[in-house]
Amino acid sequence: MHRIWNRIDFAFGSAWQNFWRNAAVSIASVLIVWMVLLSLGSLLMVLNSLQHILTLEKGRASAISIFLADNTPLSSAMDFKLQLMRDSRVSAVSYVTKEQALVRFQEMPTLSPDLIAALGSNPLPASLDVTVKDIRSLADIDKMVRTSPLVDKSPATNYSPDVIDKIIVLARVAGIAGVVLIVGLAALSLFIIMLTIRTAIYMRRKEIEVMKLVGATDWFVRWPFIVEGLMVGVLGAVVAVIIVGLGYRPAEQYLQPRLVFIPLFYDPEFLKVVLAGMLAFGLLLGTVGSYLGVRRFLRQ
Amino acid sequence: MAAVAVAPERPQISLQQVGKTYPNGTVALRDVSLAVPKQDFVFLVGPSGAGKSTLVRLLIREEKASEGSIQVDGQELNRLRRRHLPYLRRKIGMVFQDFKLLPNLSVFENVGFALRVTEGALRHLKPKVEEVLSIVGLEGKENKYPDELSGGEQQRVAIARALVHDPKIFLADEPTGNLDPATSWEIIQLLLQINARGTTVLMATHNREIVDVMRRRVVAIDGGQIVRDEDAGGYHAPNLEPH
Ligand SMILES: Nc1ncnc2c1ncn2[C@@H]1O[C@H](COP(=O)(O)OP(=O)(O)OP(=O)(O)O)[C@@H](O)[C@H]1O
Ligand SMILES: [Mg+2]
Repeated sequence: MHRIWNRIDFAFGSAWQNFWRNAAVSIASVLIVWMVLLSLGSLLMVLNSLQHILTLEKGRASAISIFLADNTPLSSAMDFKLQLMRDSRVSAVSYVTKEQALVRFQEMPTLSPDLIAALGSNPLPASLDVTVKDIRSLADIDKMVRTSPLVDKSPATNYSPDVIDKIIVLARVAGIAGVVLIVGLAALSLFIIMLTIRTAIYMRRKEIEVMKLVGATDWFVRWPFIVEGLMVGVLGAVVAVIIVGLGYRPAEQYLQPRLVFIPLFYDPEFLKVVLAGMLAFGLLLGTVGSYLGVRRFLRQ
Repeated sequence: MAAVAVAPERPQISLQQVGKTYPNGTVALRDVSLAVPKQDFVFLVGPSGAGKSTLVRLLIREEKASEGSIQVDGQELNRLRRRHLPYLRRKIGMVFQDFKLLPNLSVFENVGFALRVTEGALRHLKPKVEEVLSIVGLEGKENKYPDELSGGEQQRVAIARALVHDPKIFLADEPTGNLDPATSWEIIQLLLQINARGTTVLMATHNREIVDVMRRRVVAIDGGQIVRDEDAGGYHAPNLEPH
């Protein structure tokens, strides 16, 4: 027991001293770890948001609303509905009145009450909401219904084939750019941690010489430097975790009213996973960086 | 001849046809064979560059022999695993001309450092440090720092540090190289005292006066080879002694 305690005490004591004796280099490595983790955390949160949007859009995608002109008699609308239901590609059709459309619109969570009040008389069209068996038939149905005289012309339907593709492209671009950035920063941070550790080893070369001479084991000599790397990783991670953990909600609340048509998500469960991941990655960077620093220099 | 054959005790240090060539091609030792029994006291003499320090470095496996084999306390150094090296070093006390003390640690801490980093029991640390400091005669100087001590006192601290593991072997590479004659004698007395406690002592030195007066075993090296191995010898070979 006293051995373990002695080892821990010695390693942490030396690591702490190394860290502050070399404050400039140490703080530089904390900053770079912090940047890596901040990028990592932000990227994961953005990708998660895009994923949510994508799921939402995909759910919407198998349905299409055909907007009816305001003067369409109910009987014509019902005929149109029956005609659509007979189509083998269609799985369901429902009629949505102007009043139902307004209620739905008002229930959209992201709209401010002012916007609704500004609408005045109900401008929303009645619609036939058509669900298809296969998303790929949406384009044909869209083309077909546009020729009907009952259909409103501005706009005729809410069919927008590119939204999903755009989100997928956006997620892919954000993902690749983010990964490149993180890999680059991570490599840089490993390099800087390694330099920090080598500087510390250089400053302790006399101690190390004596330690080896009197019979300290390799690991006893190495531990203080590994611990120093861990300290750098943890400090960088803690700062980044605090910023992402406390800053994500306010950022989302600030951005949402400004991006009315892009639903943002606050997912506390995922945030916890991200924060844990950041901490783990910080520890990993610290350990690997210091191991690289220690490996070559403490041989014989 | 004795009727009962007693198995000869294995020497504490033994070298067979040892050669050492440094990576840059310098041949520092060639065909060196030497046996040092337990409790022996050996002076290793020879001109500068003869290979004395190299031999000492081989014994603590700071360097590996290029040829031949070396046994220290029954361990074959060529086959010693790297992870067992620290345990070899704990059996050997070692001091140098430049003391190798840590300037930012007090006398007590310098000696205790050797115990701490080898994970000795901390509750024995204080009594052990006090014990070895009293052996070398530094009671009362525990809280001084190396730069507040004379050269002789600094070497005593280094000796105390080398003694904390109760080494079986004590190696000294020119321990009096930086000291005046009177102080050198005090250090030699200390080494004799350590030897008298049962420790094998090997001391590389240029100090002719000490070697000549002590009349102990002398191993002389020149150009990397043993040129003389004499019990109760002097610094120079008898026939080379100037008039
Ligand atoms: N690390 C090294 N690399 C290359 N050559 C070395 C190294 N150490 C020593 N030598 C060479 O090996 C030879 C023996 O050196 P060594 O230090 O063993 O001599 P020495 O007898 O201790 O000399 P001195 O009395 O001056 O201390 C010398 O020629 C020296 O230049
Ligand atoms: Mg030498």
